[in-house]
Amino acid sequence: MVGAELETAALGPFRVTVDAERAAAYSREVGFAPRADGSAPLCYPAVWLTAPDIHASIARVCAETDSVPVHESQSFAYDSPLRVGESYDLSLALRREATPPRLVIEAVVAALGGEACARFETMLRLVPRGGFGAEAPA
Amino acid sequence: MSAIRALQTELPALGERLAEMRIGPFDAQALARYARASGDDNPLHLDDALARSIGLEAPPVQGMKLLAAFEPMLAAWRGDLVLTRLAGKFVQPVLRGEEVVLSGRVLRVSMADGVFLRLFAHGPTRVPAIIAEATLRLAPPGGSE
Repeated sequence: MVGAELETAALGPFRVTVDAERAAAYSREVGFAPRADGSAPLCYPAVWLTAPDIHASIARVCAETDSVPVHESQSFAYDSPLRVGESYDLSLALRREATPPRLVIEAVVAALGGEACARFETMLRLVPRGGFGAEAPA
Repeated sequence: MSAIRALQTELPALGERLAEMRIGPFDAQALARYARASGDDNPLHLDDALARSIGLEAPPVQGMKLLAAFEPMLAAWRGDLVLTRLAGKFVQPVLRGEEVVLSGRVLRVSMADGVFLRLFAHGPTRVPAIIAEATLRLAPPGGSE
């Protein structure tokens, strides 16, 4: 059952770049060498959620709800691969759901020309701090 | 028609099982390196006391580190196919020091929609740590997109 939607906030677009050094480190840590064709790791865009502006928005929701975010699910879908060294515009929609309490982050990655090339969704269960421990974080 | 048949022969068979891939066990240094590379600064993955405070015997491995590991597995299986979609649910944590087995099976194959796989990441228990799915497509001639 899909939870009742409480509110949705749009963020961005943010100008982001697939940093070569960071992409190489990310590739190593998930188990493979940077690819010769210059494409970024498929899951790499998740690192952009840790950017201060975006992270602050997530933290604000957690603070307002006195909850701890537990990563429940994650998806990525590509029309075309992201390229190491290239910049993109990242647009986000943060949607709060009531039952169960969740924060769903829907992201669109677009080339600077405006064409969308990837989408990803991060679903965070908002676990009340008092009840933390009842569910294990990913 | 012959060209279509030729392409179809390049697609995997329905029900094909991928060779299992074992990753880990990951130590504290590995979790710290991933935290730096990804920007995931959640102290739960790095702090033994914090992990114990919520009933875990050790810090959990970052779920995204495990989900992302499906990509090299799929590339090793069929480097001629392009991964266009990956989605996963984090069912239960894998703890630092635990080995992880990645497995997968082809559930659907079509020229129009590509190759659809069900993927699992298992820690030491029978319950999967991650239940995931992926879609791969044939790379266009002369390119990887």
